[in-house]
Amino acid sequence: MKVIEAQNAVLTNYEVLQHLSQQKNLYKLRKRRGPPNLETVVRELIQYLQSYPNPLSQKPSAYTPNCISQLLERLSPYELSKGEVVMILNLRPASVAALNTVIEEMAERFNDEQQEEMVNIILEVLGQFEASANANGNEDDAGEDTNA
Amino acid sequence: MFILTKFSDLVQISPEDFSKHSIVAIEDNINAKYANKVVQKIGLCISLYDVLWTSEGLIGHGTGLVNVNVEFRMIVFRPFKGEVMLGRIRSSTPSGIHLRTDFFDDIFVPYEELPQGAEYNHSEQIWIWNFDEERLFYDNHEMVRFQVIDEEWHDQTPAGPTAAEDTPAKTPYKIKGSMAAEGLGVCLWWDGA
Repeated sequence: MKVIEAQNAVLTNYEVLQHLSQQKNLYKLRKRRGPPNLETVVRELIQYLQSYPNPLSQKPSAYTPNCISQLLERLSPYELSKGEVVMILNLRPASVAALNTVIEEMAERFNDEQQEEMVNIILEVLGQFEASANANGNEDDAGEDTNA
Repeated sequence: MFILTKFSDLVQISPEDFSKHSIVAIEDNINAKYANKVVQKIGLCISLYDVLWTSEGLIGHGTGLVNVNVEFRMIVFRPFKGEVMLGRIRSSTPSGIHLRTDFFDDIFVPYEELPQGAEYNHSEQIWIWNFDEERLFYDNHEMVRFQVIDEEWHDQTPAGPTAAEDTPAKTPYKIKGSMAAEGLGVCLWWDGA
């Protein structure tokens, strides 16, 4: 075994899930199974990715293959680092407070208006949980009021 | 959270696999060797992503094995420092909280990385965060958000007869997390309110 390139690319959770489900379907189609260690880790990983509050647990999925490029384009003016965008795609922060955890020194880099804008872009491109929309009703309303 | 790592390795296809297509035999071989295993300083390998190149199959003297040199990419679990992830509380001890995800068990949040005002309840064996006169509980199996701050690697290659035999094996890859910052900790506290 030789490692040629330790990090060839970074994948988002969505891309990983996409690849694993494709592989699973292919196995089913060909009526065969992978090695047992692969089956175990894939089953556990899919379970992890599809448990609430992971955004990929939402059915039907709000993510589409081109939402990654769309989000990158929409967020480009804010000059976020690659890691921050990956975390946004993986966690889909639905409020300013949640966004604060994934963006470093957010208060110094962005003003309140920009923070709201980013949350709104994330909501538009990546969607949100319906149930949480009701539960967080007050919070979201407040956000929209300040924008209006 | 996931990266692609490029490896090259020698794959040996045994004669009973000759009925499979070569590419399928190679895939199975690689997955059997790497999936769900930790490669030191790389991370936890999940699954083969794609095969980039293979050599001709060569049969050596004495065995019927077909030897193929393969270059391929693996999906690897390797969260970067500072990444925020979801996990579940596995157990709590006075030294901190053990977290797990469904596929990876070795995540530890030491007590100094819990928010100020956190205390350990010995009778319940859980941590409690006293915040504005409210008592918030780090219950077992609760989904939490945490930030990766450090990682620890322990090579499990046998060290030879000099090493004492009864030393327990250390986990090959351990993640150290933090829940001190605002927005981290039990998801319900932040999302439900």
